[in-house]
Amino acid sequence: MTIPRVEMKNVRKRFGDNEVIKNINLKVDDNEVVVLIGPSGAGKSTVLRMINGLETTTSGEILIDGDDIAHAGKSINQMREKIGMVFQHFNLFPNMSVLDNITLAPVELGIRNKADAVTQAKQFLEVVGLTDKADAMPASLSGGQKQRVAIARALAMHPEIMLFDEPTSALDPEMVGDVLGVMRRLAKQGMTMVIVTHEMGFAREVADRVVFFADGELLEQGTPTDIFDHPQHPRLQQFLKQVLNV
Amino acid sequence: MKRKWLWSTLVAGFVALMVGFVPQPTQAATESYTIGTDVTFPPFEFANKQNQYVGIDIDLMNAIAKQQGFKVTIKPLGFNAAVQALEAGQIDGVIAGMSITPERQEKFAMSDPYYQSGTVMAVAKDAKIKGLSGLRGKRVAVKTGTASADYANAQKKKYGFSVVTFDDSNNMYQDVMTGNSAACFEDKPVMQYGIASGMKLKIVGKTTMKSDYGIAIKRSESATLLKKVNAGLKALKANGQYDKIVRKYLGNGSEAAQKKKTAGTSETDRSFMGLLKSNWGTLMSGLQQTLWLTILGILCATIVGVLVGLLGVVPNKFAQGAATTFIYIFRGLPMMVLALFIYSGVPSLINEKIPAFVAGIITLTLNEGAYTAAFVKGGIAAVNPGQMEAARSLGLPWGKAMRRVILPQGIKIMVPSFINQFIITLKDTSILSVLGLLELTQTGKIIIARNMEGFKIWSMIALIYLIIITLLTWLSNWVQKRVNAA
Ligand SMILES: Nc1ncnc2c1ncn2[C@@H]1O[C@H](COP(=O)(O)OP(=O)(O)OP(=O)(O)O)[C@@H](O)[C@H]1O
Ligand SMILES: [Mg+2]
Repeated sequence: MTIPRVEMKNVRKRFGDNEVIKNINLKVDDNEVVVLIGPSGAGKSTVLRMINGLETTTSGEILIDGDDIAHAGKSINQMREKIGMVFQHFNLFPNMSVLDNITLAPVELGIRNKADAVTQAKQFLEVVGLTDKADAMPASLSGGQKQRVAIARALAMHPEIMLFDEPTSALDPEMVGDVLGVMRRLAKQGMTMVIVTHEMGFAREVADRVVFFADGELLEQGTPTDIFDHPQHPRLQQFLKQVLNV
Repeated sequence: MKRKWLWSTLVAGFVALMVGFVPQPTQAATESYTIGTDVTFPPFEFANKQNQYVGIDIDLMNAIAKQQGFKVTIKPLGFNAAVQALEAGQIDGVIAGMSITPERQEKFAMSDPYYQSGTVMAVAKDAKIKGLSGLRGKRVAVKTGTASADYANAQKKKYGFSVVTFDDSNNMYQDVMTGNSAACFEDKPVMQYGIASGMKLKIVGKTTMKSDYGIAIKRSESATLLKKVNAGLKALKANGQYDKIVRKYLGNGSEAAQKKKTAGTSETDRSFMGLLKSNWGTLMSGLQQTLWLTILGILCATIVGVLVGLLGVVPNKFAQGAATTFIYIFRGLPMMVLALFIYSGVPSLINEKIPAFVAGIITLTLNEGAYTAAFVKGGIAAVNPGQMEAARSLGLPWGKAMRRVILPQGIKIMVPSFINQFIITLKDTSILSVLGLLELTQTGKIIIARNMEGFKIWSMIALIYLIIITLLTWLSNWVQKRVNAA
């Protein structure tokens, strides 16, 4: 079999004396959609950020296609090129237009010339349904539009893995559908994705596997049916009761 | 390709600094000496109506140089600055109505005496004080580092007065005329000349502390310059030229003769416009010097400040420590201390003269650069950290992310601070007058020392500063608009 896209081996993370990730082992296979769920402070964002090296690891290995990103040194930039990340607060670059947001990295890194990058950026804008916003400045967009631009920006690097950290939590409810729609299509096309979300319906629908975290520990994982219909761990049962009854 | 940008900026910064350190070329053919003098110490040195330096010291020094066949440049640095510059080896000698004292003989090579003076006490014209005994409980003005000051300090216990020191004679006279101080102590010829020029003071009591004036020469020039000066003095005294020079300024000592002398040095039209017109050229050359200092200062300080500021945000403990230390030291030091340290402290260490202008630019670069670095660092830190994370997550290296994403946003935050710093730099150039640089403030001091029109001249100077600051503000606001539009 092929090696997993992402493999976390005995990963620990400490902030000062506070151990927030406790010996985690997690694999993500090619084309797999993995959804991370868990209460606030469980360490979901930290795990996601460690996968593309935004957060250092205290111990353990994080292999991306077999290479350890936790000890990558300078080659971390090349490794990141194939890992797209979408943030809760979009983090679009406010000093440049939507088009420039999308073309910046491919052009700066010499992957594409400017003309190609622009053509391609327009294609990705079409994918996220924002063809008419190419020349807009980020400040003039709604939250849902911003998040879709952020997805297009990540896609422009042709990533092999996409990480989403609560991409819809900062959005008004009527915007959530558009963003989830884009993600759903990506999943269908076979993109390898790791998603942190509180949208349980969406998780059940797109996930190949759901992983439950609490207090920095991976407590349970399985298919959506396993997790949502037959939860084993008391913490998971309690968590689901809370989020589904709201 | 992208690296080049950073390097060229770095190199430009270093070149700017190094050019400043290149020592001035020295003439080889005829010996050339730099002699420091006081800003105003009439009749020994003062600026005449055309703002040329004249006086017994100036004429005598030029005559000696001519007689002995060497070149001399006389720099009105102010008494203390001149003495400090001589100690630091920045200049070769000082002629400034300087009494020959054992301390000075120890420090410098003193020439043969060229004028006998003594200390007198002067009070306001309408004052009732008759002598030292009338000073109990009063304040007395003296000029720093003079023999008269030593005398006053020696007497203050016995006669129960306090002493306040001034850097030049005119401020001291003013203090007595306004009644802040009851009396001042001054060398006799100077006092006589001052009173004859219209100072509302009178001499009371006897002449004490008779002393001889000599020219102070750098110790290392004992065998050369000192010999020439003494030989020149002797020759001038013998051929009558010396007497001619002294008579030119002090006449036969009668009041009528004094009046005639001073007429040549004082302005005729004393209205604001009249004074502005007669001093226009001098003011403009002072302004020019101020502008040069400001422009070069801003340029160097901005380059250094931006580099140090960036160093402060590089993810490297060493770099950050270096930047923090730089900011801590040069923002912490008062600018005047820094200026004097660079101008007269450093040269005695490295055994290399630093011209006053260069010392001024280095001072501005370090001081204003530290402030600039602090707000550059702060401006970058104020950019949402999510921006750097988003840029890095796309695979952009730190430098590219900084340049394309963080800096453009940070600069917008910094623009108002930059404008503020430019204006502060312009104002701070006035502090560099302590180095004797003939910038606007020093120019003002000199003009006022001559014509005593403090209110009008300082008004002019203030107005000029305000006009330039207004222009600078307009320019900056225009730039700010363009940055924000971009
Ligand atoms: N930079 C940091 N310094 C110190 N502690 C941190 C830092 N980042 C996260 N933590 C701590 O690590 C723990 C896990 O945080 P994390 O953000 O990964 O949780 P999460 O599961 O994403 O929660 P949420 O659902 O609220 O986003 C928390 O206790 C948090 O306070
Ligand atoms: Mg989180």
